[in-house]
Amino acid sequence: MKGLRHPFLQGAIVIAVGFVIFKYVIGYVLPVFGIASAPVPASVVFQYTLTVLVGVLLYMSAEESRWEKFREPLKRTMVDHDRRRLRGVLMVAIPALVGWLAYQNVKPSFGAPATLRSVHPAPPNQITYRGLPIELRGLENPLRHSGTLEEHVAVGRAIYTKNCVPCHGDRLDGDGHFAGAFNPIPADFTAPGTLPQLTESFVFWRIAKGGPGLPQEGAPWNSAMPAWENILEQDEIWATIIYLYEQSGASPRTWEAEGEEGAEE
Amino acid sequence: MRVQQTVAVGTAKRWLKRGAWLSVLALAVAVPLLAQVPGPDYGEFGIFGLDRRDAVWIAAQLHLLFAAFVLGVPMFAVVIEAIGIFGGDKKYDKLAKEFTRLLLVAYSATAIWGAILVFFLSTLYPRFWVYLTGIFAPSMWLYAVMFFAESFTLYLYYYGWDAWSKGAAKKVHWVLGILLNVWGTIVMLIANSWLTFMMSPPPELTADTAPQSVKLWSAIANATWMPINIHRLLANVVFGGAIVGAYAAYRFLTSETDEERAHYDWMGYTGNFIAIGALIVLPFAGYWLGREIYEFSQQMGITMMGGFMSWLWIIQAFLIGILFLTGNYYLWIGMGRIPGAERFQPYIKYMLLVLVIGVIVWATPNTMIADRDEIAAMGGQQHPFLGVLGVMSAKNTAVNLMILTTFLSFLMYRQANKRPVVSWAKAGTVLQFAAFAVAAAVVLFFGIRGYFVTAIVRIGFSVYQVAAVLATIVFVIGIDVAMSRGAESRGEIQWGKMPPRSQYALLILAVTFTWLMGLMGFARSGIRQHWHVYEVIRDTSEQAFTPALGPAATMISICVLIFFGLVGMIFWLGGLAEKSVYEEKDA
Amino acid sequence: MTNLKILFTVIATLGVFTFVANVIPQVQSAVPEEIILTEDTTPEELAAIGAEVYAGVGGCTACHGLGTRAPDLVGVVGGTCTTRVEGQSCKDYLWESLVNPTAYIVEGFAPIMLDQSRTLDGAQLWTLVAFLESQGGEVTVTSDDFAAALAAADAPPPPPPAPVDPADIDPRQLMVAQGCLACHSFEGEGQQIGPPFEALRGLDPEYVLRGIVNPNADTASDFAAFAGTMPPTFGDLMSEAELSVLVEFFVTGGQ
Repeated sequence: MKGLRHPFLQGAIVIAVGFVIFKYVIGYVLPVFGIASAPVPASVVFQYTLTVLVGVLLYMSAEESRWEKFREPLKRTMVDHDRRRLRGVLMVAIPALVGWLAYQNVKPSFGAPATLRSVHPAPPNQITYRGLPIELRGLENPLRHSGTLEEHVAVGRAIYTKNCVPCHGDRLDGDGHFAGAFNPIPADFTAPGTLPQLTESFVFWRIAKGGPGLPQEGAPWNSAMPAWENILEQDEIWATIIYLYEQSGASPRTWEAEGEEGAEE
Repeated sequence: MRVQQTVAVGTAKRWLKRGAWLSVLALAVAVPLLAQVPGPDYGEFGIFGLDRRDAVWIAAQLHLLFAAFVLGVPMFAVVIEAIGIFGGDKKYDKLAKEFTRLLLVAYSATAIWGAILVFFLSTLYPRFWVYLTGIFAPSMWLYAVMFFAESFTLYLYYYGWDAWSKGAAKKVHWVLGILLNVWGTIVMLIANSWLTFMMSPPPELTADTAPQSVKLWSAIANATWMPINIHRLLANVVFGGAIVGAYAAYRFLTSETDEERAHYDWMGYTGNFIAIGALIVLPFAGYWLGREIYEFSQQMGITMMGGFMSWLWIIQAFLIGILFLTGNYYLWIGMGRIPGAERFQPYIKYMLLVLVIGVIVWATPNTMIADRDEIAAMGGQQHPFLGVLGVMSAKNTAVNLMILTTFLSFLMYRQANKRPVVSWAKAGTVLQFAAFAVAAAVVLFFGIRGYFVTAIVRIGFSVYQVAAVLATIVFVIGIDVAMSRGAESRGEIQWGKMPPRSQYALLILAVTFTWLMGLMGFARSGIRQHWHVYEVIRDTSEQAFTPALGPAATMISICVLIFFGLVGMIFWLGGLAEKSVYEEKDA
Repeated sequence: MTNLKILFTVIATLGVFTFVANVIPQVQSAVPEEIILTEDTTPEELAAIGAEVYAGVGGCTACHGLGTRAPDLVGVVGGTCTTRVEGQSCKDYLWESLVNPTAYIVEGFAPIMLDQSRTLDGAQLWTLVAFLESQGGEVTVTSDDFAAALAAADAPPPPPPAPVDPADIDPRQLMVAQGCLACHSFEGEGQQIGPPFEALRGLDPEYVLRGIVNPNADTASDFAAFAGTMPPTFGDLMSEAELSVLVEFFVTGGQ
C-alpha cells in the first residue's frame, strides 16, 4: 500500500470520492435512507468538484516537499523514456476527451436550454385587483384580525380543494394530478424555500396575478398558474393563504422594517 | 450666491496656471455651466463598438479604481511611516516612501480619467449633466479645491521626505501625510454625494423640481450617503493593502538580489495582512448599506437581493471563496520560511477541509441552473437536499467559520517562530483553543437553529454569530500579545525564501479585489435600473436597460485589465526611478 | 518571461471571472413601457395613469383618505358619483368637482379644496376622472374628452395674470381663499394640522416664504406626524405680489 501514501494518488482519490458523493451519494443513496433528495444538477456537480480540485491543488502546493512529490509523476510521464507508451496513450486520450466534452456541449438536443429564473421576483409596491389598487407594501392578511382561525382554515381548505389540488396536490407538495404536464412545475408549499420565506402579501400577489402577472425576471415563463383575481374574491384568497400556512406548518415572513420606518417619518 | 460664483471662478482661473491636469478638470466643470441652452438629451458615441454608456462606464470605473488607489495607498503609507517613527525601524520609513513615489504617477492617472469622465458625461449625457451641475455646482468647486490641496500636500509629502527626516520636522512631515488623507477623504465624500444622490434622492424631489431649487445639503446628505462613505473608506483600506501586495509581488518576481526579495516579500506580507484584516469588517458596512437601501425603497432592495440581481451574489460568493482560499494559501506557503512552523503543518489539511466545505456551502445557489430533465427530477429549481444549504442560515454559518479559520491561520503564522516563556503559557494556549471552540459552537448553534425560527429572528441570529467571532478574535489576540511577551525565538523569519507561486497568489488576490469592486459597483449602480436619478429623472436613452451579468462582467474585466495595464506601468516606472537613485549613489 | 507570466495570471483570473458570469443564464432588466396619452389609449390605461397622478403629482392623498379633511374616494367614488347630483353623469360630476370643487361640498366637510386645473393639465385631469370612475364604477372617459384637453395642452399657455397692486390685496381674504385655515389656525380659527400662524411672527420673511413654496423641506418638530402633508403647489397658486403680502402679514403678526 506504499502507493497510497503518494500525494498524487491521494489527491486523485479525494477528487474522485468528492465527485462520487456529489453525483451519486446525494442523489441516489440518501433517498434509500429516507432522506428527501434528488439527483444534483450537472452545473452544481461541476462547481463542487471544481472546488474540491482547487482545494487539493492548494493543499499539495502549500508545502515545498509535498509539491515536489506531487508533481513528480507528472514530470516523469512527460519526460521519462520508460513511460513513452503511457505518454502516447495520454496524448491521444486527452485531446479525445476534450473533443468529446466539446461535442457533448454543442450537440443539438431536444431539451430546453438551462434557464435562470427568479422564482420569487421582486413584487411591485402596488397592484390592482380587478382594477382597484392595493398597496402591497406593509399589507397584512386582514383575516388575521377578524373571525376565528378555524373558520378561515375551513373556508381556505374548501377553496384549495376545489381550485388548487389538481396542480399543487392534496399534500401541498406541488404534486397534483396535472403537475407532470407543466414546466415549471407547480410550487411545493412544503419546501423551506417557499412559504416561510415570503410575506402573506407576496403570496397574495402571486395568487391574484398568477403566471400572466409575473415580471420580466420571472421569465422565461410559461407558467400555467391562472390569475385568480378573476375567479376568487379577495377574502377567499386571504383565507386560502391562511389555510396554506396552517396546513404546511410554516409561518409567514413579517414586515420587518415597519417599526423603524414609522419612527423615522 | 452670485458673489460666491465669481469668487470660485476667480480661484479656478488661478489654478489653471498650476498644473495641466487641474486645468483640464476645471475647464470641464466650467464648460457645461455656460451651456445651459436647449439641446439634445444625449450625445452620440460609437468608437470601438462601444456605446455612450460603455464609454461612461469605463471612464467612471477607471477613475474610481485610481481614486481608490490614491486614497487607499496613502492610508497605508501614513500608518507605515508612523510605525517607522514610533517603532524606530528604518525599513518601515523606506517602505512608506516607496509607496508615495507610486502615488505621484497614480495621481495624474486619477485626474486624467476624471477629466475623461467629465468630458464623456457632459458630451454624452448633456441634459443630465446640466441637471447635476444645477444641484451640485458649489460642491464641484469645493471638489476642485480639495483636489488641489491634496495634490499639493502630496508633492510636499514626497519631495520633503528626505529634507524633513529628523526630529520634530519628521513629525510635521507625518502630519502632512495625515492631511493628505484628510483631503482625499473629503474628495471621496463629495464624489459619493453625487452618486448616492442618483440612487437615493431626497424624498421630496419630483421630476418637476428645478435643480436650482434643491438645497445642496439635502442632496448631499441623502439616505445612502453615510453608509457608502463608510463602506468605501473601509474598502479603500482593503484595496490599498491589495495593491501594495500586488506591487510587492511584481517587484519580488522581477528582482535579482536576495536582499530585494526579502524586502518585497515582507512588503507583500504586510499589504496582504492589512487587506485581509480590513476585509473582515467590510461586511458590516455592507450590511448597513443594504439596510439603508431597503429602507429607502423596498423595491430597490428586493431588486438587489431577490430580483434580477440575485445571481450577482452567487458570483460575489464565488469571488469571496477565492479570496479566502487564496489568502489562506499565501499564509500557509509563508510558513515554509518560518522556523518552528513545521509543528502546525498537520493541521493545515483540516483547516483546508473547513474552507473547502465552507466555499461549497457559501456558493451553493438557492435556485440552481438546471435543464428541463434535472428540474423535473428535483421538483423545482430548488434541490430538496442541497436547498438547505442555499439559504441565509447556512451561508452565514459557512462564512463565519471561514473567517475563524483564516484568523487561525494568522495566529499560527504569528506564533510559529515563538516559544512563550510566561508561566501560564500552557493554560493560555488551552484558553485560546477553548475560545475558538466556543465561537465555532455558537456559530453552528445559531446556524442550525436558524432553520426553525421566523425570518426576523433568523436575521437577528447573524448578529450573534458575528459577535461571537469578533469577540473571539479580540480575546485571542489579547492572550496572544500577553503570551508573546519576552518569548524565545525559534529562529528568524527568512524573508525572501518564498516560492514564486505565493507571489502569484498575491497577484490573484489583488485582481480579485479589484474585480469585486467593479462587480459591487455594478450592483449599486444597476439597481437604479432605468433611472438617472431614482424615480426622479428617467433614463430615456437606448441604454436605459440594465445589462445582464455576462455583458456586465465582460465590461468589468475590460476595466480591470486596463487598470492593471496602467498600474503595471506605474510599478515599472517606480522601479525605474529607484534604479536612477541607486546609480546616482554609485557614481 | 516573468512579465508574461504575470500578464497571463491577470488575464487568466479575469477570464475565469468573465467566463463564470457568462455561463449562468442571462437576465436583463428591461425598461418598463411608458404609457403615452394618445387617442388610442384605453380606459384601463387611462385609469392606471390616473392612479399615479392621484398618488403623485396631484397630491390628492394629502387630504383624501386621511380622515376628517376630505372624503375617502378610493374604492367608492365610482359608485357614489352618479347619485350626487340629479341628472348629472358621473363623468361630469367628477370633472366639475376637480375644476370647481367648492360647488359640491360633501356634507360635513369644509370648502378647502383648490381648483385642480391650476396645477394639473387637462389630460392629467381626465386621467384622474378615469381613475376615480374606476373606483367602484365603470370608466366612461373617452378619447373625445381628452382630445380637447390634448389640443389645449398644445396651444400656447395663457399669458400670466396681470401684476396686482400689493395695496389691493387683502391677506386675510387670501388666507381664507387659499384654504390655509384647513390646516393652520389664526386668531383661534382653523385647524391644528400645521403650526398656527401666530408662531410665524418675527421670523425671517425668506424662511416663511420658503415654507410656503417648498413646504416639506423641513417640518416643525411638533408637527412631525403630519410631515409631507402640505401640498407643494401654493407657490404656483399665488402671484409673487400675493405671496409677499401674505408673508409680510404673517411675520408682522397680522398687522
